[in-house]
Amino acid sequence: MKPIWPVIAALLLAGCGVQPSGVTDGGKAPSGVAPGVTLYFVDARGELRPQLRRTGHLGTISEAMSLLLWGPGDSGLRTQITSNKTTPQVVVATAPGVIQLMVPLSIHEVTPLGIDQIVCTALGVHVQGGGSRSTKVQVRFTLHTPESDKKRACPVIR
Amino acid sequence: MAAILLIEDDPLVRRGFQLALSRHGHDVRTADTGEDGLRELRSSRPDLVVLDLMLPGIDGFEVCRRIRAAGEVPVIILTARGDDFDVVGGLEAGADDYVVKPAQPTVLDARIRAVLRRSAGPPDGVRVHRDLHIDTTSLTVSLRGAPVTLTPTELRLLLTLSRAPGRVFTRQQLLEEVWEHDYLGDSRLVDNGVQRLRAKIETSPASPEFVQTVRGFGYRFGPG
Amino acid sequence: MTERSEGTDRQGTRRLWPRGLRARLVVAFVLVTVLGAAAAAWSSAGSASSALVTSTQQRLTETIAGQIGAITPQLTYPPDQVALDRLRAAVGAETLVTYQNLRSSDGTAAGLVTDALRTAVRTKHRLVTQRIIADGRPWLLVGTPVTITAPNGARTPSGIEVYSVRDLSGVEQQIEGLARSAAGTAALALPLAVVLALLAAGSVLRPVRELRDTARRLAAGDLDARSPPQGADELAELTVTVNEMAESVQASMAAMQRMQADARRFAADVSHELRTPLSTLTAVVEVLATTTGGMEADARESARMAITETHRLVRLVDDLMEVSRFDAGTAQLRVEEVEVTRAVRDCLRARGWLDRVELVAPQEVSLRLDRRRLDVIVANLVGNALRHGEPPVRVRVSASSEQVRVEVTDSGPGLPEHVSPHVFDRFYKADAARTRTPGSGLGLAIALENARLHDGDLTAGNADGGGARFVLCLPRELEDR
Repeated sequence: MKPIWPVIAALLLAGCGVQPSGVTDGGKAPSGVAPGVTLYFVDARGELRPQLRRTGHLGTISEAMSLLLWGPGDSGLRTQITSNKTTPQVVVATAPGVIQLMVPLSIHEVTPLGIDQIVCTALGVHVQGGGSRSTKVQVRFTLHTPESDKKRACPVIR
Repeated sequence: MAAILLIEDDPLVRRGFQLALSRHGHDVRTADTGEDGLRELRSSRPDLVVLDLMLPGIDGFEVCRRIRAAGEVPVIILTARGDDFDVVGGLEAGADDYVVKPAQPTVLDARIRAVLRRSAGPPDGVRVHRDLHIDTTSLTVSLRGAPVTLTPTELRLLLTLSRAPGRVFTRQQLLEEVWEHDYLGDSRLVDNGVQRLRAKIETSPASPEFVQTVRGFGYRFGPG
Repeated sequence: MTERSEGTDRQGTRRLWPRGLRARLVVAFVLVTVLGAAAAAWSSAGSASSALVTSTQQRLTETIAGQIGAITPQLTYPPDQVALDRLRAAVGAETLVTYQNLRSSDGTAAGLVTDALRTAVRTKHRLVTQRIIADGRPWLLVGTPVTITAPNGARTPSGIEVYSVRDLSGVEQQIEGLARSAAGTAALALPLAVVLALLAAGSVLRPVRELRDTARRLAAGDLDARSPPQGADELAELTVTVNEMAESVQASMAAMQRMQADARRFAADVSHELRTPLSTLTAVVEVLATTTGGMEADARESARMAITETHRLVRLVDDLMEVSRFDAGTAQLRVEEVEVTRAVRDCLRARGWLDRVELVAPQEVSLRLDRRRLDVIVANLVGNALRHGEPPVRVRVSASSEQVRVEVTDSGPGLPEHVSPHVFDRFYKADAARTRTPGSGLGLAIALENARLHDGDLTAGNADGGGARFVLCLPRELEDR
């Protein structure tokens, strides 16, 4: 009976090593490069209009927010967010399925469209960076308001 | 020349032997059953009984035992089968010899004469061996003063053995000397005779002092 | 306990298969168990290891994708060398990043990337992996394009390709460890299997052994031997059947013994019946014999014939009784120490043949046998020699350490060839004309049976110088009957 045991061992070892394979799919390719960041402003008709700001890279949501709050610049588009010429800092927190933006604004300084701007910009960066399109955005204002808790989607990014 | 009682149930065999034995000079009385035989035995006192073992009524062995119990008259049994059962049984019942049927009357006559001769013997004075007295003239034996009754066969055996104490007799020799059988004799006769003799003269038949067995050879009379 | 032997089957090839039932049971059981354990171990080790590989692969892939995805928002696009270096650094060692003509690579392993992988990256726009074995080690090749996701969700390849190579040796070692422990566990099954097999075999073989012992006892003659049946399986049925067989054999034996007893009684009864009239005849015939003197010639002749025939009848009845005893198996051997030379001489002397027969014998040959039967054999052989052969008749007694021989030869015409094999048959008469022999026709048959009763033999043939020769051989070692 003894000769059988090394044979078994040999069989096991030979058959169970890491086997080479052919090329197999590994999932979605990572994404996230972009020539610049897309900000959402409002055009003359009062609709959201994306504007590519060629920063050279996609950047973070926070950077995008800063640029958004700074204003549309000379592009001819308007913003419905009260601009603040000082460097606005938006704190971005991500939770599963939700992006929380702590904007240094109060609810009175933004129109609903302005909120959409914020939401779309943030979501756009998120999506372009590889994130899910179904993520919601929470805009949290400085002063407590029920608007802070709403989970919003972007009308143009579906 | 002898008075013979023949006990045989078959009438033709009985008559045949009566005729033949008479021609040999014997006076033959007959009986056809054991009971008649025993009665005849008491009334006529024969010298010898020739007894057939196959009898109606009381069987031959029982008759033999009763004859032996009644006295020392010698018995020769007639057996049709000659097998162990008959021979040994007959000897143990007290017979002195046996003859197998059909027996030629000459042969039976020779047996009869041999048995009768046992009662006689050359006188040799009185031999005393410790407590045993053997008077060869009167042919009486006594043990510690008490008389011992022996059948002629037993007596002849004792005389033969004691005539030469210490000498070993083979069964063949005893058969020839005592029973007068030829070289084809039945050694069971000797063994039976010795057994019966021991029963009568030994204090303890199991460890005999007079008639001793010599293993592989025969018997001898012990030192006296 | 086990009987290992190498057997040869009919084609003469050698078999190394063990012979004993216990050995076969144990070997089969152990083989099945070990093979089963090995198969289970192999398959479980196999699936565990493939799961390990898969999960490791997935983890590495996700890590790489995560590392890329984390850095890409920071990368300038279109990337310059610095950006590519940053990307490469984010992914780690053994990585190659290309963008059009720009390359950033680290480590030599990047050279392992296969063309197939590259092609897949370019055509499929998805992350792809491949496992290869190079330099005796397993490697995981990961290749992925970096895509640009437009705001509306459309993805386009950015032209940046990332290739990374990860060493799977660690995984392989883990797998080998798994395999070893699986093999070890399977090997553990071996002694356990042997123990269990022995137990199982024992439980099967014990009743078989008991049955064998019972059968042996039955064969040896103990017909009361039985095995108590245990359980309700086939072995118990077999035990019951064997018991029934023993029962029936015992009954048959009892019946046969009864038949033998009946036969014996019948033989005895027949003998008695025949002997009674013969007794009368014998007695009266002798009377006739002594009175022939005064008879007429016819009467005398009649008387003599009656005498002769009566004697013949008696001999025939005696011989028939002897033969029937042999047939019934009831012939008794009365053994005593006999001096053979003397017995033969006595036999010759008793019949008055001493002066007609030459006896050549050693001084003393002692043997345990039945005296009467020896006399019967010698008398028959010598009588035949004198009657059917011619003088001189010689009887020669010789002895060896194993047997005693008595050889009777005559100087007559000898036995014809067609007669020799039948000479011991009952009532066989060689010469049809010789119907009036005084013998019964059973003499030689009885002599042969008497010889065989002693475990000896009687043979008939012709002597070298013509004349018949009969040889009686009696063995020295006679079992006590």
